[in-house]
Amino acid sequence: MAMTAVARETVFALRRQIAKIEGTLPERLQAPAGALVDAGAAADVSGADFPGADLTIVRRGPAAALPDAFLPVGAGRLDAALSGGLPKAALSEIHGQETRDAGAVAGFALSLTSLILKQAQGLPVLWVGTSEIFHEAGFPYARGLHAAFGIEPGQLVFSETSKLTDALWVAEEAARMTALAAVILEIRGNPQRLDLTATRRLHARALAAGRPVLLLRQAAAPEPTAAPVRLIVASAPAAPRATVAGPLAGSIGRPAFTITIGKSRTALPGQFTLEWNPDERVFDERRGDERAGEERRAENPVAVVSLSRGRKDPAAAAGAVLAFPAAGASGSPTTRDQPSRQQRATHLGPRRAG
Amino acid sequence: MISHRDSNAQRISALDEQGEALHLKPGMGIADARAMHPSIDIVEADPEADRRLLEGLADWCDRYTPLVALDGIDGLFLDVTGCTHLFGGERAMLDTILSRFFQQGFDVRAGLAATPGAAWAAARFCGDRIVLSGEEETLLAPLPLAALRIAPETRASLESVGLRTAGAVMAAPRAPLARRFGASLLLRLDQALGRLDEAVSPRLPVAPLSVERHLAEPIVQTDDIEQLVGRLATALKTDLERRGEGARGLALFLFRVDGAVNRIAVGTSRPLREPQLIRRLFHERLTALEQTIDAGFGFDLVRLCVLSVAAFDMQQGDLAGEVADDEADIALFADRVRARLGDGAVLRPVAVESHLPERAVAIVPFSETPRRTTPPRKPDRVRAPMTIFPPERPIRLFRAPEPIEVPATEMPEGPPLRFRWRRALYRVARAEGPERIAAEWWRQPPGDDAAATRDYFRIEDADGRRYWLYRQGLYGGASKVPPRWFLHGVFA
Repeated sequence: MAMTAVARETVFALRRQIAKIEGTLPERLQAPAGALVDAGAAADVSGADFPGADLTIVRRGPAAALPDAFLPVGAGRLDAALSGGLPKAALSEIHGQETRDAGAVAGFALSLTSLILKQAQGLPVLWVGTSEIFHEAGFPYARGLHAAFGIEPGQLVFSETSKLTDALWVAEEAARMTALAAVILEIRGNPQRLDLTATRRLHARALAAGRPVLLLRQAAAPEPTAAPVRLIVASAPAAPRATVAGPLAGSIGRPAFTITIGKSRTALPGQFTLEWNPDERVFDERRGDERAGEERRAENPVAVVSLSRGRKDPAAAAGAVLAFPAAGASGSPTTRDQPSRQQRATHLGPRRAG
Repeated sequence: MISHRDSNAQRISALDEQGEALHLKPGMGIADARAMHPSIDIVEADPEADRRLLEGLADWCDRYTPLVALDGIDGLFLDVTGCTHLFGGERAMLDTILSRFFQQGFDVRAGLAATPGAAWAAARFCGDRIVLSGEEETLLAPLPLAALRIAPETRASLESVGLRTAGAVMAAPRAPLARRFGASLLLRLDQALGRLDEAVSPRLPVAPLSVERHLAEPIVQTDDIEQLVGRLATALKTDLERRGEGARGLALFLFRVDGAVNRIAVGTSRPLREPQLIRRLFHERLTALEQTIDAGFGFDLVRLCVLSVAAFDMQQGDLAGEVADDEADIALFADRVRARLGDGAVLRPVAVESHLPERAVAIVPFSETPRRTTPPRKPDRVRAPMTIFPPERPIRLFRAPEPIEVPATEMPEGPPLRFRWRRALYRVARAEGPERIAAEWWRQPPGDDAAATRDYFRIEDADGRRYWLYRQGLYGGASKVPPRWFLHGVFA
């Protein structure tokens, strides 16, 4: 126990050091039990109370000056885990584990875009993708986007390029524009060109323009990028349609997503199930134990083909190392927020080859 | 020696001076020529290459006048009206053209006259002659009939009646000539003599505005070209402002020292006149074309043309002199992407009234759509009634519906129990539907078979992924073709 306490102290100090050096991103730290914030750091550390947790928020640099630096997703636990929501002026990665998850990944990204458009009314959204991904996963369909996310066809601009380099160029040029509400860049797999440098350029431009860049990555393994947040999205079984006479058996209701926090400076790895409400254009968090889909996943007879592992410096698997217990879980850490073993296994160890 | 195939025999179509010295003639059979001189070198004629060469020369001649027209397979018309003073008068201009052609290795003959017909005759029958206005008759009189640009049959029949020179034809009474040889003879005659106007139809449309700069020292670097574009665009701006217009299409002509001409065009989504923006557009285009443009020994003439113009809406800036216009930013962004990656790189969806999902949204290039205009409401058309529950549509649609294998359905007309898509088997957990969408018979060509009706289903598989499937055709219908299943889109 003493060992872990010392280790926590060290991690805590290191994290604070990193936050000081970088100075731009908010850092949520959990203070060690009984530890007092020393007077020297108190000037930098502004305390903020989160319900039921002894949390400390370190905010330095321009992020602290902007009250609306975050886009609240609208689901309480996810927002709390991300300490206020997704960063607005930043590159955010949204991963789908397989190409057939493209619907869920695009749906979640468009839900976020819809939330952004609530504040930035009338601004267009640019969707950049390679021909490959639009061919493999389908081209965005304006009628569906209008019905589900309230995005008018006139607000949509697409850019389709045959080469990845061109797509990155278009996205970079677009990321620096303030006339766009958001830029969505969709890439398939782990191409060599989309490395740390490329993502850093995108992130820097998003920071400067104050507009979000959503990097959708289909069938990609996590790798080091400059994006502060990486979310892994999978579809969740939809709840039945609600009618006056109760839920309608056998019907398919509002779209639901399973969100896993793959990377975040502030959050612990966690898993959340969100339901998109197309009428109100808000997220509802589903808290019940709708885990039926998880068990059924095992029945899926599709062989999962392993991704190419030829790249250097693969990222450490998300959620493997846990420094602290889950946020808000005092006493008994719930296993519900953690990725299930199967899900972790898909992006961790070597997979079965098809 | 160049040969061509004419009425089933190889004949000489063109030959050089050495060949002429051997008493060979165009039109002679290749077999005869070989029999006379077995060592002659014969090349097959390539009219396409000749044409390309002539077009290249015409491009090069653009530097003297924008009105350049092709004349047959071996001639060029240059309308130099109002251009000669730029090159130091008619004589100097003709000499420059001839000497520059000679330096490029071409043997050309030129004539300059007030009418195209006289210039044609002067170039082909006199060589390097300037015909003053009014002297056409004295020029033409001693020339043979071929100088009148008339058909060979007319020429032969004129010669058969003894009229062997143009002067003889001119002296003959007009009415019998017209009666016997047709109006075209007199037309050609009048055109050559300047009694009738003859228009030279230029090869390229003449740009409304163009500015150019001759360079004493040829430039090679892309940066220099861009800088020059900025300066030329500054010069254009004044003209555009005076006309109250902006450029919708621009072209940059780079004349290489050795005669090759590069034409680089960019289009804009909205009228443009700011030199900085024009320069940025050409920057993208030149970056994209960097590999294909060969500067060679450099460019000695750079011309910037406005190909099309549109009215320019002035906008009042605020006190700080800044005009914040998001639409203009996006238009400029789209133009830059277009300049670099081509027309199809920036797209936008346009809603179309159609039941068929793939037709209901048209994806068009960004520049084609009118911006922010509501379609005019037709008075005789009643607006479609709003449905409280519009049909659910997927968020991604495959360009071509992907065929899937459906081994079994619960009921003949019902949703599948499981299906195979891209070699993976999916178990259907829940399904909604069908939504029947019939083909648009009014778009079918008459006599064509009616396209099959589609029944769409919303499907959720065991993992919670939602798909949009359809069955094309009906079970037990009139046609014997069994229904086929397709996956058309995915839901969120």
